[in-house]
Amino acid sequence: MAPIRPLHPAVLDAASDCRNGRMDRRAFIRLATLLGASAAAAQVLVACADQPPPLPQSTALPDIPRRGGTLKIGSVVQRLDHPARLSWVEGANQVRQVAEYLTETGPDNITRPHLLDRWEADRDLRTWTLHLRRDIRFSDGQPLEAADLLFNFNQWLNPDIGSSMLGLLSYLQAANVETVDAHTVRLHLDQPQLGVPEHLFHYPALILPRSFEGDFVKQPVGTGPFRLLEYTETERAVMERRPDYWRQAPDGQPLPYLDKLIYLDLEPDARVAAMQAGQLDTLYQPRPSDWQALKNVPGLKVEAISTAQAFVLRMRVDQEPWNDVRVRNALKLCQDRSKILRLAYFDQGDLGLDAHVAPVHPAYCPQDPPAYDPERARALLAEAGYPDGLRVTLTTKNDLAEPEMAQALKELAAPAGFDLDLDIVEPSAYWDRWTEVGLGITAWAHRPLGTMALALAYTADEAGTPGPWNESRWTDAEFADLLRTAERTLDVDQRRATMCQIEQIMQQRGPIGIPFWRRTWTISRDAFINLRAHPTSYDLFSDVWQRA
Amino acid sequence: MIRFILRSLLSMGCTMALVSIALFALLEAGAGDITQKLLGAFATPQQRASYRAQLGLDQPLWRRYTTWLVGNDWWLETRLGIPLLQQTNPQSGEEEWWALVEGQPTRWKMDGGKLLARHPGTPYQTADQMWRNDAKGEQFFWGLDESNRAVKWIRSAGAETWVLTPAGFRKQGDGPRTYIPLQKGLLRGDPGQSLRTGRPVSSTLFPRLRNTAILAGLAFALIVPLALLLGVLAGVKAGRPTDRIISLASLVATATPEFVTGILLILVFGIWLKLLPAVSLFLEKDALFADPSLLILPVLTLTAVELGYIIRITRTSLIEVMGRPYIRTALLKGLPIGRVVLRHALRNALIAPITVIMLHTNWLIGGLVVVEAVFGYPGLGLYIYDSALFGDFNAVEAAAMLLVSIAVGTRLLGDLAYTYLNPRIRLD
Repeated sequence: MAPIRPLHPAVLDAASDCRNGRMDRRAFIRLATLLGASAAAAQVLVACADQPPPLPQSTALPDIPRRGGTLKIGSVVQRLDHPARLSWVEGANQVRQVAEYLTETGPDNITRPHLLDRWEADRDLRTWTLHLRRDIRFSDGQPLEAADLLFNFNQWLNPDIGSSMLGLLSYLQAANVETVDAHTVRLHLDQPQLGVPEHLFHYPALILPRSFEGDFVKQPVGTGPFRLLEYTETERAVMERRPDYWRQAPDGQPLPYLDKLIYLDLEPDARVAAMQAGQLDTLYQPRPSDWQALKNVPGLKVEAISTAQAFVLRMRVDQEPWNDVRVRNALKLCQDRSKILRLAYFDQGDLGLDAHVAPVHPAYCPQDPPAYDPERARALLAEAGYPDGLRVTLTTKNDLAEPEMAQALKELAAPAGFDLDLDIVEPSAYWDRWTEVGLGITAWAHRPLGTMALALAYTADEAGTPGPWNESRWTDAEFADLLRTAERTLDVDQRRATMCQIEQIMQQRGPIGIPFWRRTWTISRDAFINLRAHPTSYDLFSDVWQRA
Repeated sequence: MIRFILRSLLSMGCTMALVSIALFALLEAGAGDITQKLLGAFATPQQRASYRAQLGLDQPLWRRYTTWLVGNDWWLETRLGIPLLQQTNPQSGEEEWWALVEGQPTRWKMDGGKLLARHPGTPYQTADQMWRNDAKGEQFFWGLDESNRAVKWIRSAGAETWVLTPAGFRKQGDGPRTYIPLQKGLLRGDPGQSLRTGRPVSSTLFPRLRNTAILAGLAFALIVPLALLLGVLAGVKAGRPTDRIISLASLVATATPEFVTGILLILVFGIWLKLLPAVSLFLEKDALFADPSLLILPVLTLTAVELGYIIRITRTSLIEVMGRPYIRTALLKGLPIGRVVLRHALRNALIAPITVIMLHTNWLIGGLVVVEAVFGYPGLGLYIYDSALFGDFNAVEAAAMLLVSIAVGTRLLGDLAYTYLNPRIRLD
């Protein structure tokens, strides 16, 4: 029995909110676990009026997990050195089988401790205490201790390493990571931050041993369920089960169930053929065309999940003609959202507002998506000094659904007087200049909290220079104030009220259009159980098993 | 004959040398500033210059050429005054360069103005006693760094270097002033480091070559006898139904692009009937030997495309030979038709198909890109294509030289085959 710890006061406040019906269960559990209550305790505290806490997973399932089997995954196998420098989810997916995170955000968007036993935050969210589990050993036999955590924080916060954690943890100085004892670390933040546990699940935040020298292929040591056997860039990565993994299955034996994982780097079309022929068991982020080809194949199951991933139509407000808000709003009015969703993404998404907050975010403020109105758009263009219409270039990459979306927008915007020249380039060429083009469609990844993308893409530094990922160069004092407020507001209802204002501002004078939030699919052979869709497209395989 | 072979080998050598110079020069001129491609448009001139230096691209052209061809470890040994040693890292299986200092393999780095040295498996320890003085009184040291490069550090004057990582550039102080990437050279089996994988080119190139050679070799062994047989049959029966069927079928098969044939075969045998592996999944390095059925569909696709050419050439050639006076004479004097064809006509008729076959060997080795892409087959064609797109110059140069040597080699084989078939073609 773990010692009883005092709960964070906000948890109790939230529990009463929840009982009064002011907060739904999911939001409450997220908040409570975020502030250090165990997920089980949160389930007990929740006596929310609307729904009773669910019983633990029914034990009536006829299937008993079977051990053994090999899972074959279609995914690129990229160049790999320091995991802190990972900049693609695909690469992180392979390292993730060998090394692990301190926390884990589940498919339900709730973050729970993983290598951590628990965390605690002080009242104003500026001091976070991380308690490590005591029963974890690295695959080389060394125990996981606070010194390893300290090493990892120092790697992430070292500008020489070049990790994207450095930007995410902008509220933390390396000197302010304090070792309390062999299994406890305390973070003293420069400013209050709600998202620390979420940030510790950012894909480069994989925990490595303090003896790590910089090349994971040469030194594949981690706490994870698998061991790296082979890593051949551009061809394959092979992992085998680690017999002494720290997590146990309900039968008391250590996880994982699977014996082997094989990641295979194939051309995209060959990947689909291999899925159809039964040679591959699952694949990384199927394209819409892959989903079309595979959704009705017998033996495959498709699980869709709503995400905060979007194709963002963004306009550079420091350039003509987008510096005029009327022109921006005219183009936004040209989005027939449901038509774009149907044409570009087979109706597999949720309609968006022109604000970078998605319905899956806890504090999302639901509003009706604006209607398609080419007449008003034409009037706005005339008002802005373009009575005869406007010819502009729309640049995007030849990738998932961007060309289709660009084409749909071109047709939809024509009645309003926009003449869009499409410049569809190879993905790498687009990523070379994504922040530079005047009008573009940029794919944005999922982030568990609504404030995360807003802080990355629509803010400036203290001197007023737009941040490195602020591709539209749009900054707005009122918006920035509201965002700061949202970032330090614990109460989800209160935060939602702020989000309503933020969404309003972005719709009225913002630089982007988001016609829809895309769904992603996990397509896998139905013999594999527990292979779940995750909004981040992370591969988490420790409890996956294969039916005989 | 011996003289001919020796002369051919000599001319092969000259050709290869000329081609290697031309190839090097072409890539040099055509690639422009390679950093433009590798680093994108937004890298600063300092970042470009630093990256070029790290790749050794600031060395003079002739030195880079000789390094590429025969390596630079031998002259660096004299320059550094330390014997160099290449040994395998037991963890990654890769070859690493170490300097032998007092019998101990050693590498160095400069950190905070201090020179640090380490041996395999041990941490860095200070090695400040190794600094040397140059004429100007500056302290310097030539040693080996962690990335298999001979580098020159200058004490308390570390260069600011920009190191490219998948997450973008990072700036590092205390960098060396000069970099010379160590290489054994193409002729000694080491074409350098691949920029795409960050590993030696040879660790990818040779397995890829092997895979393609097996695929092409099998296809070749199937195509040549079958095509010659069908071609002769069609030629002998010119104008009859047998000829019509063979000619039409081969025309259809050849006119169908290989990606169509390939996808059709995948659909029928891989996905509907589930008889054969649809895609060449290499679950391990030696998957071809563990599961040779992986090869069936790619080989069939190649056969379908190639067969028609050789059938048609053989047929035409045989018809032409069969019309010659000496064949008519043979037939008139009562020799059985089978004997006329096999003993008298075939030898002459084979000259043209042999030329085609030899030319197509090159295509089979290097031009398999489409088939390899359709089946996801990790071969040489796909490797060159991907490397060229990436701007991975070491990989492209090595692979191109391999193809050139195969082309030159098959030409020699073709010449030898001619003399065997027709002794009137004198080689001496």
